[in-house]
Amino acid sequence: MPTRRPAAALALAAGLVVIAGGVTGLLLTRHSTPAMRPAAVGVGAVPAPTGPIVAAFPAPTGPIVAVSQSAAPKPVAAPVSLTIPLIGVQTNLMSLGLDPDGELQVPPLNMVSVAGWYTGSPRPGAIGSSIIVGHIDGDGGNVKGVFFRLRQLSAGDKIYVKRLDGTLVEFRVTSVQQYPKDHFPTEAVYGPVPDPELRLITCGGAYDPATHHYVLNLVVYATEAS
Amino acid sequence: MNFRRITRRLLMLLAASGLLLGIPAAATAFASSATSGTGWIRLAHLSPNTPAVDVYLYSFDNSKAMIVLHHVAYGTVSPYESVQAGDYSVAMRAAGASATSQPVLSTSVTIAAGQAYTVAGMGPESGLRLQVLDDKLTTAPGQAEVRVIQASLKQQEVKVTLGSTVLAGSLKFGTVSDYQPVSPGTHTVTVSAGAGDANSSVTLAAGTVHTLVVLDGASGLEVVSLEDASGSGKPPLGGVQTGFGGTAPHGPGSPVPWLVAIGAGSLLALTGGLRLRRNRQLTVRI
Repeated sequence: MPTRRPAAALALAAGLVVIAGGVTGLLLTRHSTPAMRPAAVGVGAVPAPTGPIVAAFPAPTGPIVAVSQSAAPKPVAAPVSLTIPLIGVQTNLMSLGLDPDGELQVPPLNMVSVAGWYTGSPRPGAIGSSIIVGHIDGDGGNVKGVFFRLRQLSAGDKIYVKRLDGTLVEFRVTSVQQYPKDHFPTEAVYGPVPDPELRLITCGGAYDPATHHYVLNLVVYATEAS
Repeated sequence: MNFRRITRRLLMLLAASGLLLGIPAAATAFASSATSGTGWIRLAHLSPNTPAVDVYLYSFDNSKAMIVLHHVAYGTVSPYESVQAGDYSVAMRAAGASATSQPVLSTSVTIAAGQAYTVAGMGPESGLRLQVLDDKLTTAPGQAEVRVIQASLKQQEVKVTLGSTVLAGSLKFGTVSDYQPVSPGTHTVTVSAGAGDANSSVTLAAGTVHTLVVLDGASGLEVVSLEDASGSGKPPLGGVQTGFGGTAPHGPGSPVPWLVAIGAGSLLALTGGLRLRRNRQLTVRI
């Protein structure tokens, strides 16, 4: 039946097209994840960004006051704002505590552009490891959080915290680390240290749509500039 | 049209895509600690009848002093300095003496990464020595840690209590008690000696480490509370959920629709191919 040949050829051709489409779709979707996001860096420091970084904000002005470690140190005022000129961060600081389950609170979804200070940690500039956290992003529409560019920091970069009494404290980044959240180094981040230090915490690595959380935490370690 | 060849190619394509699907995420290792290879050192003069001194800190293989503290008087404790882990030496010279003169006293100290040390001139002037103390950088959960340095020559032996806790039952001049955990809060420190008690008030926050130094005051004893280290009294549990995924790529989604399309396409092509083959055979017979 020669009349059936065009139909059969058509079916064969259409089948091949569908297969090609299916395979292409499959390959494209499998490839998108690594291509769109910088790979999570494992041990050690996050590499410095290669492109030029333009400071979006100038360093803030105000008296830089180091608190002396005397027998009766003057109490340090609470922090009110954070400035990281290199990555354009300039934010007020909200107060954060612990959730009932003991986890660190984070700024709410409608405040992803604001960072927060953990009130259970030392005040910035006092002896000890002061904790400031901020979101990497919001929940849709490509909304970037206050710490979206935190991973671009590297050793030596400057961080400023302004306090309630108008004084400033200047920190210098010593290292940038990433950890899986289920292996978070509690002691290294929150444990006692003998000098004024700062830890900035945000998320990193891949986003897990099943848990609605990123799998890594990125921690910037800094010490007071002397 | 060679149906077999087409089928083989299809199978190869499917196999290749399967391989790609199966590629696991690149395995990465993570540092468990953030130590950047530095430790801390502070210097102290705790010898009551020794005049002020100049204190020098040298890196082991360098004759040029890294740090010089001038005119350090009895009772002075410097802030901590962050230094690279390694071997150092500490020297004391009479205040104002030449930096190249023979030191009155010197000692070596090995600084480990992430550890803190106090190097103190201790004892009476006649028996002055430089003692290296290991300073604690951890606390029991929700607790403060405290120890006592007995640097009073007026009272050779003291008993030190913090509230109802005995920090040191009988601490001799020039010695140091071990750290011990205490409840956070404001406490009364009592230093008891033969001549009577000295009281003072100290506030110890959870997550902090303190050293109490018993000194000879202008009249009687003096207690100085040093904050050695501080952290979060209540360390948060686990990691921090600081992202909502808005800038994350949408996940690759399910591969099922694509696999269904490939399957359907294969079926269509297979049917068409078989028909074509049968038709060709029929044509040849006729």
